[in-house]
Amino acid sequence: MLLDRVNRTLTSALCVVCLSGCVQAVPPDLLTALESIDQDMIALRAPETEPEEYGAFVRQWIALKSRVELDDDVIRWPWETSELENELRGLYLRGERTVSQLHDRQANRQRAAQSKVESIEDRLHLMRSHVGSIDGRIVLGERVVQTDLLVKQARIFFEQKDYQRAIQRAEEADQALMHQTALLNQELGRYADGKRIASWQAMAQQTMDWSRTHQSPAIVVSKAERELILYKNGRKVLSYPVRLGFNGIREKQFQGDGATPEGRYRVIDKRGPGQTQFYRALVLDYPNAEDRRRFDLAKKTGHIALGKGIGGLIEIHGVENEYAQQTLGCVMLDNRSMAALFESVPVGTPITIVGALTGQNAVALALSELAHHNRQEI
Amino acid sequence: MQSRVFLIPMALAVAITAGCADPPTQQIQEAEKALKEAQESGASTYSPDEYAKLEGTLDTLRKEVSEQDGKFALFRDYGKAQQLSISAKSESERIKVATAQKKEEGKAAALQAQQVAEEAVKAAQQLVAKAPVGKDRAAVEAIKNDVEGLKSLLKQVQDSIDKQDYPAAQTQAKAIHDMSQGVQTEIHNALAKVGRGKPSLSRRP
Repeated sequence: MLLDRVNRTLTSALCVVCLSGCVQAVPPDLLTALESIDQDMIALRAPETEPEEYGAFVRQWIALKSRVELDDDVIRWPWETSELENELRGLYLRGERTVSQLHDRQANRQRAAQSKVESIEDRLHLMRSHVGSIDGRIVLGERVVQTDLLVKQARIFFEQKDYQRAIQRAEEADQALMHQTALLNQELGRYADGKRIASWQAMAQQTMDWSRTHQSPAIVVSKAERELILYKNGRKVLSYPVRLGFNGIREKQFQGDGATPEGRYRVIDKRGPGQTQFYRALVLDYPNAEDRRRFDLAKKTGHIALGKGIGGLIEIHGVENEYAQQTLGCVMLDNRSMAALFESVPVGTPITIVGALTGQNAVALALSELAHHNRQEI
Repeated sequence: MQSRVFLIPMALAVAITAGCADPPTQQIQEAEKALKEAQESGASTYSPDEYAKLEGTLDTLRKEVSEQDGKFALFRDYGKAQQLSISAKSESERIKVATAQKKEEGKAAALQAQQVAEEAVKAAQQLVAKAPVGKDRAAVEAIKNDVEGLKSLLKQVQDSIDKQDYPAAQTQAKAIHDMSQGVQTEIHNALAKVGRGKPSLSRRP
């Protein structure tokens, strides 16, 4: 009886010792650590930015987790090695390495996106400032806001840490800016064209020669330099800064286009106080025969819509509103300069309006700088 | 006695046959279908981490089935495969619901941003419409271009919504809203300079 009791006690004690010696096949801390690796990867947007890498980790993680959850061998002797635990530890180490690499890659991507976004913002700023300085906004039309939208989107995506899309939008904006530069070159390239500049210089020279020959005043307006020069007896006596049409940098084609015409004109009327709303005005003979010939040809060839008119009433005038920066196509001077000019020129005075007088004009320089920046980007 | 001896192998054969497990084919097919449905619901875009985990579960399931298929018939056990397929199916349902919710949230946010942008563009258009038509229109001609541009940009927002690219739609709408406000300020400044309402003569350059 006693022997039986001792026997039972010993057996129970042995069982307790054995059971307390058993350990779980996988330490819970290891599972928590792997969960945390998974969360780190999600926080680094690995599922979106590195789907293959994240997929590889997750496949192994799910396979091992299902073994932990569904396998029976979750309890082992302390001296037994657990293959499952080893695999989990291996995955943990690989996961840690991946998180660290993702961190580095994310930082690199952030730097790349930041540099792209800042660079495109700078280029947009440069483009705006050049286009503004030469009044070329109308030339670019709706493209200006389209590019602006891309640049703004790039910035928003960057702030949302969506670097991939930020870079993508910045690259699209980059292409858009290249197209804008190409369009400006196409529309305003004549300001950098040696032959055209030579022809404008010849026109200005003829006007000066006329002034000298006729011992009379003559006017030359350079659109690129936004300058009006008054000649007397062939000598430059004064120059005034001028403001042009809202699309003045272009050649006038039809009524309402806001462009300032180029060519040889004459003063056909002088309008003093009470005769003009613009302080004083010198009315030009636009459209002259050459303008009409050009207009008719453009209409015939379909470059100008049939319903369009040629326009008129191009003047050199003063300002009604000192804040007005642009005209509808006229040449505008401040009232003091206009008063001096008005007194200096009679009806019949020749006025030559040209694009530019030198190759180093403001438009050519702006185009060259934009092209230079484009080349740098490429 | 002899007939009893025959009974032993027969009973063994019956036991072996009854003991052979069949793969849970239907459940596996349902799990595969559930994965496909989750993918079609946009889970890979809206819940990429959960979708990747679902793919992981299916991958484990396929491996498990193939491992059991490779075993001697008597030792096959598809219990784990069955549990995995049940879990995949229920996870897929949960992910589909979560994806639909995220999608709806994204759509609602995009639509709201679109409305705000449209209102801002409309306000800019109304301001331009108030601008002078005579000589003073020169001051707002360039801005008019921008307003027209903004109007056409609104189409891009709709395109993104139609493509269910709600994050893009939201950023586009936000940018258009900001730009419209910038344009409105510009118009206000231009109008203030030209002196709105001043009588002007008709001009025809």
